[in-house]
Amino acid sequence: MTTKATINRLATRVPGLDEVLGGGLPEFSFNLIAGQPGCGKTTLAHQIMFALATPQRPAIYFTVLGEPPLKMLRYQQQFDFFEAEAINRSVRFVCLSEGAMSGDLDGVLKRIVDEVAAHNSGLVFVDSFRSVVFAGETANSPKTSLQLFVQQLGMLMTTWQATTFLVGEYFNETDDNPVFTVADGLIWLRQSVQRNSMVRKLEIMKMRGQSTLPGLHTFRIDHTGIRVFAPASVVAAGSARPDAAVHGERALMGVPALDDMLGGGLPRGYSLLVAGPSGAGKSILASAFLAEGARCGETGVVAAFEQHPNRARNPILVDLIARGQVGLIDSREPDLSIDEIVLLILTEVRRLKATRVVLDSLSGFELALAPTFQADFRESLLRLVTALARAGVSVLMTSELEDRYMDLRFSPYGAAFLTDAIIVQRYIEVDSRLLRVMAVVKVRASCHSNELRLYSIGDDGIRMGEMLPDQEGMLGGRPTRKRPPGLPASPADVGGV
Amino acid sequence: MPPKSQESRPWPAPLADRVSDGADAEQVADAIVAIWLEIEQALHPIIGHRGVAALYNRSLHLTAAAYPWLAIDQPGVPAAVDPSALRAALVQQTAAEAAAGGSALFLTFHELLASLVGASLTDRLLHSVWTHSSPGSPPQDTSP
Repeated sequence: MTTKATINRLATRVPGLDEVLGGGLPEFSFNLIAGQPGCGKTTLAHQIMFALATPQRPAIYFTVLGEPPLKMLRYQQQFDFFEAEAINRSVRFVCLSEGAMSGDLDGVLKRIVDEVAAHNSGLVFVDSFRSVVFAGETANSPKTSLQLFVQQLGMLMTTWQATTFLVGEYFNETDDNPVFTVADGLIWLRQSVQRNSMVRKLEIMKMRGQSTLPGLHTFRIDHTGIRVFAPASVVAAGSARPDAAVHGERALMGVPALDDMLGGGLPRGYSLLVAGPSGAGKSILASAFLAEGARCGETGVVAAFEQHPNRARNPILVDLIARGQVGLIDSREPDLSIDEIVLLILTEVRRLKATRVVLDSLSGFELALAPTFQADFRESLLRLVTALARAGVSVLMTSELEDRYMDLRFSPYGAAFLTDAIIVQRYIEVDSRLLRVMAVVKVRASCHSNELRLYSIGDDGIRMGEMLPDQEGMLGGRPTRKRPPGLPASPADVGGV
Repeated sequence: MPPKSQESRPWPAPLADRVSDGADAEQVADAIVAIWLEIEQALHPIIGHRGVAALYNRSLHLTAAAYPWLAIDQPGVPAAVDPSALRAALVQQTAAEAAAGGSALFLTFHELLASLVGASLTDRLLHSVWTHSSPGSPPQDTSP
């Protein structure tokens, strides 16, 4: 028999928050929701309150000198989580502004305790706490009285078995504020503004008794309320891996000759980078990859981060999407974070039980990210690839590559080492024609062809052609005909024919 | 203002329920004042005495356009609802005129609150005011 106290964890039902909190909110804890004006503190408090309040565990919301209660009710009811029916039943609002205005902290404390006792409240919110601080200061009371107030409140609320939230504006987290010491939990909301973009971030700076996920977690506020995007690795952890026994060890590409070059297709769970210049047929190869999956009874997800929503898509892909065999992620939300994108993709992967994912393209993906994340694009990409690999899906990413004939590069992002396989596409000039060649550069832990093969794009997609054994220097874009041994160079050969 | 609130809501039925036919202006005034005390009682914990008083004052101001004798809104920032001035104004009218003005004032208040926090929340907050009244029963003081 255990004699330790059991700490129940309350599920806040704020999407992603319970994961970040490390499994929910400890019962009877004394928490602080802090951040600058407009960062979503009151919204988070309301969302938690409406989720947790029941007739058995009623909530009480004290409004102090911050937002006038009428306005708070006016704006909070716009969110889906706001239930007017709950008010005066499981949710009670109490205005404390009159007592607080006089700076009478003892009176405020007494009022809080009386109301909590009268209604047997299991959830207590005080908004905004900073105004209590100000009220205390204007009454010329020393700072110790505030500390005393907070300690007493914390002690009283815990003995009343109430889970408590102080909502307040604090501009400086290193501020020597006694509240920070007393609080069991410290949820800090931030807004990061860079150029024309704004990203909301949440940090659990402290949560006694449990291990939270460290760092800043992006979140979004829309009509449903707050959605927190837990780290990609956590989101991916619960994914079921596609069964290789059902689908085979390798994912076929839809271009048989290319499968041969890859050593029999793309190994399951691998990430493949298709790098090539504009017009080389990267998106067509990606469509073929998804179409082949659909032909074998698999489903796929395509994440298109295009800047032109109305641009005509590949008809094969349009058809697959219309038939529900491919899910389209076409987020036009501004200022995406990597965790949000991973969540979008994995949600769709789970919904469709998809085995194949296409990211078209990395350049568009980079542009879709908020500027604040673009500096860490490589790291973001690594997290994305890792999360998708953990989910067990086979990923095809396209990367636009400026054709530079003097060097052989695969991606402007240094993404090449992140991926398990690479296919490169190039243009070459032969007989006054612009031809395309393709090669498999790498397939991790697998045999693959080293051929540089011509290919063409027709109505039926990609058709692989022959090698050009009599040409050399193709990667430079201007191949020359190899001289048969013993013959002098003819003038026509010079300059690439 | 939402035009449907008048027909779809029982408001301001409480007055009709509480005064019998043939009541004089004094009785009408008492019933109206009693309802205001209940409204204040229902709302002040949530939006504060000053919040209720501000809404009450604004309602008087708006209703006075149709009932000039209701132009008794206090200047400045009222700290609490003071129904004594309203009572004094009501008893100087005929019973019918007092009932009409008082009802118009309730309606204005209801619509004002609904324009701010929505009709459903308004009904939720004022629920106790119009459900406790039953025909013929005297107004009850719910203050502790």
